[in-house]
Amino acid sequence: MSAPITALLDGETVTAVAGEVWSALVGEEEFLLPGLGPVAPAVDGPSAWVTVTGPWDGVVVLTCAASGTADLTRSVLQLDDDEQPTAEDVEDVLRELANILGGNVKSLLPGPSALGLPETGPAPLRAEDADTCRVSASWRGHPLAITVQGASEAPAHPTTEVPK
Amino acid sequence: MRALVIDDSRAMRRIVASILEGFGYETRPAGHGREALDVLEEGWVPDLACIDWNMPVMDGLQFVSAVRAVPAWRQVTLMMVTTESEHGQIVKALAAGAHEYVIKPFTADAIGDKLSLLGLMPVPA
Repeated sequence: MSAPITALLDGETVTAVAGEVWSALVGEEEFLLPGLGPVAPAVDGPSAWVTVTGPWDGVVVLTCAASGTADLTRSVLQLDDDEQPTAEDVEDVLRELANILGGNVKSLLPGPSALGLPETGPAPLRAEDADTCRVSASWRGHPLAITVQGASEAPAHPTTEVPK
Repeated sequence: MRALVIDDSRAMRRIVASILEGFGYETRPAGHGREALDVLEEGWVPDLACIDWNMPVMDGLQFVSAVRAVPAWRQVTLMMVTTESEHGQIVKALAAGAHEYVIKPFTADAIGDKLSLLGLMPVPA
């Protein structure tokens, strides 16, 4: 069994990874503002996640306030301000953001590890706090949360490949 | 020049295609490796294929191996565009026949630099 995520990663690192992903995918001039305070507030909105399977098993979850999902999708897809993205587009954008966040988090963990295919839906159940690294942030005033949590209570998801 | 953009994310296909079209490429999308093989089999053979790794139905590594097994498709340059950044994965993709490797997230400049290295940056008309 691997060390808990809190021994492998800290919130500052996760925030830095998310910031890089944001400026590359959402826009060069788009910034994630880190949340303040030690306790990340709950975010009411859809989640997307990917599983990491390897010496550390768990999930990387992105939750975005419902108020921000359309704006976020418009930015990533470079749609006009008055264009309403489809629900499919919103889910696709959240999945891809979670996928890239997960891949970059995985690169910081002991390996070799495999990444699952991204999924959307209600956020997976939280693991014990000792195996959870959760950061909050906001983008254009919309709250976001990124959670890297152990698999102890998370649903199992198939991966496409397990490196030998 | 022609490029096949293979990714299960429509958002990512759109982003990669937009970058390549900005460089002067004609692009076609595919949602997974099997769909991309269908495009090749119908005779649309690109100069470049940008390939995600983790996809349903047929993943990027399987696609690379399938393309490399067909002599008629030997001229297709294969560039992995993926979140898989472990050294072992990169080595595995290159050993299977990929020419280049771009890790997500990337910038348009990063893609442009790789194309220049590969001699695949279209010359403006």
